[in-house]
Amino acid sequence: MKQTLTALAFAALLTSTANVAAQDVTLTLWTESATGAEATFAGEFTEMDNGITIDVREIRFDDIVTENLRAFATGTNPDIISIDNPDHAAFAARGAFLDLTDLATASDQIDMDNYFPGPRSSFTWDGGVYGIPRASNTIALYYNKDLFEAAGLDPDNPPSTWDELYEAASALTDPDNDVYGIAFSAKASEEGTFQFLPWLQMTGGSFEQVNGDGAADALSFWKTLLDEGLTSPDTLTRGQWDSTGTFNGGNAAMVISGPWELGRMAADADFDWGVTLLPVREEGGPRASALGDFNLAIFANTEHPDEAFAFLEYFDSQAHRMWPEFTRMPSRVDVPLASTGDARIDAAAEVFTEQLQYAANRGPHPEWPRISRAIQDAIQSSLTGQKEPQEALDDAQSVIDGILN
Amino acid sequence: MGPLRSMRDGIGFDTLLIGFALLYLLAFAGLPLLYNVIISFQQVDVFSLGTLLHPGAGWDNYLSIFRDPLAQMVLWNTIIFTVGSVAFQFTIGFAFALFFHQKFPGATWFRGLFLAAWVMPGLVVGVLWNWLLSGDFGVINHVLLSMGLISEPIFWRSDIDVSLYSVILANIWYGMPFNMILLSVGLAAIPDDLYEAAALDGATAWQKFWTITLPMMRSTIGAVLALGVIFTLQQFDLFAAITSGGPAGSSTVAQYWSWQLSFREFDFGRGAVISVMMILVVLAVSLVYVRSTRAETRM
Repeated sequence: MKQTLTALAFAALLTSTANVAAQDVTLTLWTESATGAEATFAGEFTEMDNGITIDVREIRFDDIVTENLRAFATGTNPDIISIDNPDHAAFAARGAFLDLTDLATASDQIDMDNYFPGPRSSFTWDGGVYGIPRASNTIALYYNKDLFEAAGLDPDNPPSTWDELYEAASALTDPDNDVYGIAFSAKASEEGTFQFLPWLQMTGGSFEQVNGDGAADALSFWKTLLDEGLTSPDTLTRGQWDSTGTFNGGNAAMVISGPWELGRMAADADFDWGVTLLPVREEGGPRASALGDFNLAIFANTEHPDEAFAFLEYFDSQAHRMWPEFTRMPSRVDVPLASTGDARIDAAAEVFTEQLQYAANRGPHPEWPRISRAIQDAIQSSLTGQKEPQEALDDAQSVIDGILN
Repeated sequence: MGPLRSMRDGIGFDTLLIGFALLYLLAFAGLPLLYNVIISFQQVDVFSLGTLLHPGAGWDNYLSIFRDPLAQMVLWNTIIFTVGSVAFQFTIGFAFALFFHQKFPGATWFRGLFLAAWVMPGLVVGVLWNWLLSGDFGVINHVLLSMGLISEPIFWRSDIDVSLYSVILANIWYGMPFNMILLSVGLAAIPDDLYEAAALDGATAWQKFWTITLPMMRSTIGAVLALGVIFTLQQFDLFAAITSGGPAGSSTVAQYWSWQLSFREFDFGRGAVISVMMILVVLAVSLVYVRSTRAETRM
C-alpha cells in the first residue's frame, strides 16, 4: 500500500512537471540594461526547450524603483525584477517580493552559504530569503601611472592613507594642464551616499551612527579636497560615470570608482593605470568600502513562481561568466574571477576582490531612501559651506534617529 | 420626438459635444486633482499607493512641509525661477517677434527655425545645457574665458549662488521661441491700416508701438504671460538634467521638491501638499488666462 502511494505520488509529480513543460509560460523581467547579464541569460533561458519565455524590458537606472512601485500599486508589475540592493529591503519588508526560503532550501543550484555575507544580508529580511544577488561591486582608487611619474611620485606605491592621498592629490593637481588630483562623486543622490559611507566607516561610523567621533573628519577631508581645488567643484553635481570619464580623458589623475568602469577604461584611457585599495584613515586603521550592485527578486503576485525561480537558478548557475563577460564580480564565495586576457583588468580583479571583503551593506532598511537622503543633505550642505561638517552630521543623525527608532 | 429634433437643429448636438468634453475633463483632470487633494491629508506610502483608502493625517502633512527647513528656500527659488524665466522669455520673445514682423526676405523662414528649440524634448535640452554649462570643459566658460569676461571658470551647476540661474538661463532659451510665436500671431492680427493712419499723422516708431501695438496686444500679452507662468511652474526636465535641484538644494523649486518627496522618498502625502498649493497658484493664473482669451474672442 505504501509503495503504491509513493508510486502514485511520484507519478503525480511527473505529470505536474510535464504540465509545466507542456504549458507555454511567458514571464516578464525588468532590468536596467537590455544588454546586461540579466537580458543575456534571459535570452539563453528562453532559447532552451523548457516552454518558458522571458520578455525583458529595460528601465533607466533612476526609474527602476519608481516604475516598479507604480506597477506594483496597479498590479502590472513584472514577474522578475532586477533591483539595486539598498532598495531591496523596502519591497521585501512590505511583502511585495516572494519569500524564496523554501524554494532555495530545496534547490540543487542555489545555496545561501555560497554567497558573501554582505550581499546575502541585502536580500534577506526577517530571516526569509527574498532574492538572489546579480553580482557585487565595491569602490577602490584608480590612478594614472603616467601622471604619477610625471609628478615625481612612485607609480608602484600609490597612496595608502588619507594623508598620502592628500599629498598625492596636491602634487598631481595641475591647473595649467587642466588636471585635477582626484575625482569622485559627492552628488545629491544614492551615488553620493555610496561614495561617502566608506570614509565614514573608516572612522568607525556607520549609516546608523553618522556623527560619532571622527565622522566629521571624513567630511572635512572631502571638503579640503574641494576647497583646495584638488578636485573639480562639479564633484558636487557629477555622478560616478561622468567623474570617471574625466579620469579616462586625463583630466583627473585619480578617481574613486568601481569595477563596472574597467571595460570602458581599458578602451578609452590612453595611459597606464592601476587600481589600489581605498586609502585608510591612518596606517593600520580599519578598511572599509561600499557594497553595490543589484539583486534579482520575484514579485509575490506572480502566477508562475516555479518558472520564475527556475530562471533564478539558471542565472545563478552562470555566475562564472559575470566577470569575464560583464566585469561584474560574482557574489559567490566559490566562484573565482576568471582571467579576462587584459593584464590590467586581471590585476584590478585582485584589488577589488580584496576590497570586497571590507564592503559594508547599505541597510538593509525599508526606509533606506530617507536615510540616504539625510546623508546626502549632510554631504552637500557642508561641502557648499552652509554648515560645519559636525553640525551637518548632527542634523543628519537626528533625521536618521527619527527613522530608525 | 423632442431629443431627435434638437439633434437635428444642432442645439442638442452642441450639448452632446460639450458633454463629452466635460466628461473627459472630469474623469481625467477633475478626479486626479481631487484625489491629489485627498491624499495630501493622508499618510500614503509606497505600498498603500494603489489602495483608495489611507489612514488620515489631518493637517500634519501641511504643517511638516511649512516647518521643513527647505520650505523657505524652495519658495524663494520658485518665485525667482518663475519671475526670471517669464520676464526674459517674454521680453526677448517680444523683441524677436517685432524683429521678424519687419518684412525682410526669409523672415518667416527664420522665425520657423527658432521653433526648433521649442519642439525639442525638455530632457534633451537639459542634457545639452548640462554640457554647455559644465564647469571645467563647458562651452560657455570657454567662450567667456577666451573673451576675457571672466578670469576663473564659473561652476554653473555646482556653485550654490549660481545653480538656480543656470537653469533659468536654459529655461529662457527653451521657452522664448514659444513666446515669440504667440506674440507674432498677435502682431499679425493688428490691422495694417492703423499703422498707415498713424504714419500719415506723423507718428514715430516708438509712438506707434506704445499707442497701437501694445494696446492692441493686451489680451495676447495676458495670455502669453499666463501660459508662461504655467509652463514655468511645470518645468521639471531641466532641473533633472542640469542640477538635480542641487547642490544642497540651492536650485530646488516647488515642482522638483514635490517630485523628490513623492518619488524619491515615497512620501506621497507631503508631495501632494506641494502640488495642491501649486494648483491654487495655477488656478489663479488660469483665471488671468481665461479673461485674456475671452477679451480676444470679443475683439
